[in-house]
Amino acid sequence: MALCQNRLHEERKQWRKDHPFGFFARPQKNSQGVLDLKVWECGIPGKEKTIWEGGLFRMTITFPDEYPTKPPKCKFVPPLFHPNVYPSGTVCLSILNEEEAWKPAITVKQILLGVQDLLNDPNPDSPAQAEAYNLFKKDRAEYDRRVKRTVRENAAP
Amino acid sequence: MEQLPLPSSLAEVEALIRALYSRNPPETISKIQEVLQRLQKSPQGWQLASSLIASRDENVRFYAALTLIVKLNRDSTELSEDDAKGLIENIVGWILQSLADGTSAFVTKKLSSALVTYFIHFSHLWPNCVRHYVHCLDLGRGVSIDGLDDALPTSELVAKLSPQQLKAAIWFATSLVEEVGKTDMNSPKFAIVHDRLVKNASDVAYLLARSFSQPLNTPGPKIQDDALNCFQAWILYAQRVPSNTEVLITPLRELVDPAVNCFADQELFQPTAELFSDVLYNYSSFLTESHYGALAALFDSPWAAEYYNRTIHGNHEEEGISFGLLMLAYGDAKVQDLMTSPDDRSQRFLEKLSGLLAADGYVVSDDAIFVPALEFWSTFVETMIDNTFSDEEETKSWKPYADQHLKAIVMNCWRKIQFPPAETFAEWDSSERVGFSDARKDVADMLQSVFTLNASSLVSFFADLFLQSVAAQAWAEVEASAFCLGSLSDCLSDNPKYDLELSKVFDLSFFELLGEVHGSVPLRLRQTGLSLIERYCEYFERHAEYLPHALNLLFAAVGDPVLGSPSARSISTLCSSCRSILTGEAGAFLRHYQVIRNSQVLDSLVEERIILAIASIIQAIPDENQRLETFNDLYILLKNDLDLAVRLKAQPGLLNLSDPNILRGVDPPNPQVRPSADEVSLQIALRSLRCLANVGRGMQDVKEHPVDLDHDLPPKQIGAKLASIQADIMGVIIEIQRNFSTSGEVIEIICNILRAGFSETEPGPFVLPPDVVTDYFLRQTFETPRLGTLLSTVCSFVGSLYSGPKLIVPNHLARLLPWVISILKALPEPEDDTEICQNGIGLVEKVMARYPEVLFQLQPSQMLEFFFMFSLKVLNGKEPLPKSAAAEFWSSFITLKSDDNPSLQATISGAMDHLGPLIALTLVQNIGGNAARSEIDRLTEPLKKLTSNQPRAQAWLQQALFHESFPSTQVTAEDKMLFLKKIVGLRGARTTNQVVREFWLSCRGSNFAYVS
Repeated sequence: MALCQNRLHEERKQWRKDHPFGFFARPQKNSQGVLDLKVWECGIPGKEKTIWEGGLFRMTITFPDEYPTKPPKCKFVPPLFHPNVYPSGTVCLSILNEEEAWKPAITVKQILLGVQDLLNDPNPDSPAQAEAYNLFKKDRAEYDRRVKRTVRENAAP
Repeated sequence: MEQLPLPSSLAEVEALIRALYSRNPPETISKIQEVLQRLQKSPQGWQLASSLIASRDENVRFYAALTLIVKLNRDSTELSEDDAKGLIENIVGWILQSLADGTSAFVTKKLSSALVTYFIHFSHLWPNCVRHYVHCLDLGRGVSIDGLDDALPTSELVAKLSPQQLKAAIWFATSLVEEVGKTDMNSPKFAIVHDRLVKNASDVAYLLARSFSQPLNTPGPKIQDDALNCFQAWILYAQRVPSNTEVLITPLRELVDPAVNCFADQELFQPTAELFSDVLYNYSSFLTESHYGALAALFDSPWAAEYYNRTIHGNHEEEGISFGLLMLAYGDAKVQDLMTSPDDRSQRFLEKLSGLLAADGYVVSDDAIFVPALEFWSTFVETMIDNTFSDEEETKSWKPYADQHLKAIVMNCWRKIQFPPAETFAEWDSSERVGFSDARKDVADMLQSVFTLNASSLVSFFADLFLQSVAAQAWAEVEASAFCLGSLSDCLSDNPKYDLELSKVFDLSFFELLGEVHGSVPLRLRQTGLSLIERYCEYFERHAEYLPHALNLLFAAVGDPVLGSPSARSISTLCSSCRSILTGEAGAFLRHYQVIRNSQVLDSLVEERIILAIASIIQAIPDENQRLETFNDLYILLKNDLDLAVRLKAQPGLLNLSDPNILRGVDPPNPQVRPSADEVSLQIALRSLRCLANVGRGMQDVKEHPVDLDHDLPPKQIGAKLASIQADIMGVIIEIQRNFSTSGEVIEIICNILRAGFSETEPGPFVLPPDVVTDYFLRQTFETPRLGTLLSTVCSFVGSLYSGPKLIVPNHLARLLPWVISILKALPEPEDDTEICQNGIGLVEKVMARYPEVLFQLQPSQMLEFFFMFSLKVLNGKEPLPKSAAAEFWSSFITLKSDDNPSLQATISGAMDHLGPLIALTLVQNIGGNAARSEIDRLTEPLKKLTSNQPRAQAWLQQALFHESFPSTQVTAEDKMLFLKKIVGLRGARTTNQVVREFWLSCRGSNFAYVS
């Protein structure tokens, strides 16, 4: 537990010191306004020169007590139209999977950049929602249209 | 590529090296490189290096050093101990020669690197490398390692070194720690090298102490510069060493004070500041209290005042911000002490740190210190919160002082986030703009934390600033005040306690100010002002008197290209949450919307949000008649658009691009080529359907209604008016789909319209009678586009049936089931459309789980048989999503029971007799290696159900394990039997997953261990 808190303090510090343009990530505040380091609210911008450009997608990162031994859970709120996002909004990505590529050294910044990469570069081997996955595979034009609409609905301010 | 022949003489080699460093085409260079590398790698490489080093050409000597490094890294084991000892004498000798004959530094440095490489490979022969090197430097020649014991003490040797020799020794000590530091200290091979390196620290300390003691402020390059660099490298290394740190740290700590003295030399300021910033930020425990005292005294000196002044008023791009960063690093390391110490020096220091938030110029474009300073203050505020809320008992005498600082930083931040004049902003590049707006977000973030400590005073502070700056017409200040108030909205919007303060801001003059479209009020202020209204939505719920003003203001902005989108969002938020207050305005808003849409083509998303807003007000109208009438007024507008779409599709001649109604379908608004009637008609249809879907969302009830647990009641009766509206909506949907039958988007939106009614418990225009919905679904064929999405909507529909009156459910399911299976049957291969496959299986599962009798009564019975075989095939397939749905289906099938219906139970048992062996076979094929690693857990579920619910499971599984289709040859018959025994014994316990995983791994063979 202490390990988790210390690491999250450090993550917070590092993020404040150095974060990629257009992203935001901050711990949630509880009702008294005190930070809850274990739940972060984040914003991931779509990459330039991709169909996701111009969007800012909100995601919550929840860190378990066993963090950083176990990976955090990333969830888009509201759920996002994307082949690797479950209907609940949870992101399916190898670096977030304890049995795959998660390593305790992976930082919040790396996670957010990883999810940003995933937006335009879905992994067809791990589909998480049928709708986006099916369109991605079978009707790319319709998929692109749908993504562009998602971007408009989530336009970066 | 043709190879060059190996050179036959040293002269030829030298010629090649010279050619390598001359201007030659890349192809020639790579050929030369190749032949030289071959030579380096040959057993003659050692000899080559020592021959080349004698050359007068510096490039050749550099190459000789490089060859040595290559040989050491590749072929160290070739050397006998004596050869190795001889080699170190030679390398040192060559360095001394280079130093003596004025060879360029790049050669000497490369030879130093060769020494370091030697240490990494032969540290056992050369443990006291620094002392030996210094000893050789003193003697002026390379001497035997063995004679070191008789040499003078290191301190005396160091004292005798010439400045040039001292510099060479420092180079070596720096590259030694950097290079050894790159090797893995946890590997057995290198751990011992690290141990020996650490023991050299005290010798290095002599070198550094001597360097730091040289006179300051002398002209020319300074040895201290190299010494600071070396010192930093050793401290950085010390931080990473897990044990035996005292041997390392004690001598290094002695050097802190001498290093602090380097600040006194202006030319050494930069490296010294970097060194201390680095240590303070990353390794603050390295410094002792006495060191901190020395630094604190330094910050309080006139010398520091001068540097501070330059940080505040100087040009950051030219002069840098090192001093500011140094102060912040100190602050970061001592934040807790500084906060709780009311002494003058600490307080003065904090004042200066707060002053860093008030440097000259605009944030990011001119002022580089603001962002790092803000980071420090955020840490300060968070530390304050931790201290304030943790130890209740402790007296907090420091709090008033800290509060004073908070006031100052809040004021400074408010000044700093003010936008520059438009012409200045226009000159900024995109990264400066993004940087500025990121800094504003960081300020907002910090203000929320400050609110935790000083809630009321913070709100009134910004409310007062707002009023003062409005009176002074200082627009940038007004904007900044509104922005700061907006950032607090999450903390106070739902708390009426602050309404008095907020009322100062949200009075009539506020709305008048923002309503000035053509006045002097800048666009940005209007933007921030409008978003302030949205953020304080809950305030307006409590103060309805201002709501119409707010909404009028927002409506006036919906056509604006910049303000339109945020205004529409604010309108929908406000209308949705204040719907019951606004019911009287529904008609007025509707007329307002009509006026706007007659005068211009709104952005489609803006229009959808306005429609959503109006619909949510209509939903709250208490009188049903009036509600439906107003609804109808809105609906007719959309219906006319949809009619137009259909007419235009049928008669392309109607395409008149000056008709505003037709222009609504031109997307993008100003196309290069004239769009076709077909395209425009489709766009009008889509746009209007989307609006209709938003009406559906708006009409959803937000109030909680009591849930009727007794579902046996008949469906609620509805009036004729509502029934006719519902029939009309369905008619329109069918008509649009008929005309635009190939558009997947049309189907997708229709699904959204239907879904809008599913969750409702009270009657409404979109709460369509279940018969009508079922009829609609049954009309769809395999040719309907986006059929998978439609099936997912059917699943939601069935879910909504389950929460309604029970009586009607079986009938609907009995109608839907054959239709769904016929769609699955139409798939050429189950996996041709994963969405259809997944949702189709999911739907059947949903029916079976609640109403198994409907499933088993399915006629003709071949249909059911088809479905079972279909889902077994999917369970053995490659597509993860349908496979997962099939696994769930079979899990519930295996546990299916009907205690109160013996005949149904007999049917289920009969089916199980037939299917049990097939299920077992399919599961075993997966577990035997066909499944992907990520699927194992999901596939283990039905297996667990099988072993815990079916007495014949063991026999079925055994048959499957020994069936000819078993995919793996990696496991023996004993392995299979052992596996079977384990899983049957576990009877579905959680450990089964682990056992299955291990068996799957064995079946795949070790080569597959990490392949999923």
